[in-house]
Amino acid sequence: MRFFVNFIIISLISFSLCSREIGETEITTEDGIEVFQDEKFYLLKKNVKIESDNFTLSADDVKIDFDKSLYDITNLYAKGEVDFFSKEFGISSNGDILNFRVKIEKLRVEGQGSKLLTKDVEMFSDGFIEVNNQNGDFLLKGLNSKLINESIVIIANSIDGSFVDKDDKKEITFLKVIDEKISYVKNNDTEMYAKKINFDYDTSIIELIDDVIIIRNEEKITGDYGTLDTRNNSYKIKSNNQNKVKVIIQNNE
Amino acid sequence: MLGSLAVIFFILIVFYEQANLNSFRFEDKTNNLSDADISEPKFAINNKTKKIYITASEGNFLNKDEVLLKNNVRFKSNNFSIETDKVVFNRNQQTAQSKTRSLFKSENITISSDGFNIHDKGNKIIFHGNSYIILK
Repeated sequence: MRFFVNFIIISLISFSLCSREIGETEITTEDGIEVFQDEKFYLLKKNVKIESDNFTLSADDVKIDFDKSLYDITNLYAKGEVDFFSKEFGISSNGDILNFRVKIEKLRVEGQGSKLLTKDVEMFSDGFIEVNNQNGDFLLKGLNSKLINESIVIIANSIDGSFVDKDDKKEITFLKVIDEKISYVKNNDTEMYAKKINFDYDTSIIELIDDVIIIRNEEKITGDYGTLDTRNNSYKIKSNNQNKVKVIIQNNE
Repeated sequence: MLGSLAVIFFILIVFYEQANLNSFRFEDKTNNLSDADISEPKFAINNKTKKIYITASEGNFLNKDEVLLKNNVRFKSNNFSIETDKVVFNRNQQTAQSKTRSLFKSENITISSDGFNIHDKGNKIIFHGNSYIILK
């Protein structure tokens, strides 16, 4: 009887202790916490799980910088099989390393197979992916960097750009794509290759620089410099003196 | 209806257990008081920014520097407190080690762990084992 009573009490107390209330952040670790009060950070060790109203995160180890007190988190650095999901920002992310700078809402995920998904945009890289939630800036760098949204696919070593929220969707307003080998952009029915590809929302022009190839339907045009106007889907291609613009029209009949 | 019955049942159990615990504590105190080298020991860890006061119900000297503090051991500074059952406190190095379940409380934060170490005059606190943190 006594064992039974103790069991019920311990179960009830454990349940009340382990249930997170609204507004609280719950953290569990398997190998403890190291708190450095003067340096203002703490280390969460082994199989860390963080759950709050705004996000959930799991990782092998986490370092948290704080300002006034331990709850006043300024920077979160998670390492090892990081899995992040934020309902508030509509973001889910995976990678070897994840860094979230809380006050400026800047998220960076690093490592092979890094992934950052939002409702409208998917980003992948074996280097790093960086997104600033406040100003919409993003940067992907490294092998297999790829950005996909409803109307565009970009593959390159470096994808630098900016989003704005329009009609509840993320729209690209600026883009600077670089790959020493070749960058790839697919916009609607047009595929574009070049070493450098720029886009400016205000002019609606995609600019292609060096080793340019544009493929649309059965047309394949090569040159050294090209532009594509996204408003009317028309394009122009120029070449240097040495090279000539080359057009190949395939007949599939 | 079932909910209120469960609450009444739970309150009864808690009262029953509390009565048992009180009698146990009383017996325990009378039995063990004679074993303690110090009753109601008080120590402090000083660093340049804060002072951590240490209190317990009993203490036993392990050697010249180390004291085993037992029962209601409490570390209290102006911005946090830690409660546990047993701590080895080193008076010379101003360090503390505990392997018993511990509860750390600070402004808007609670940490429970399987023990802790205090180093560097209270600047560094290491909580051991399975740890559970609530930030408010």
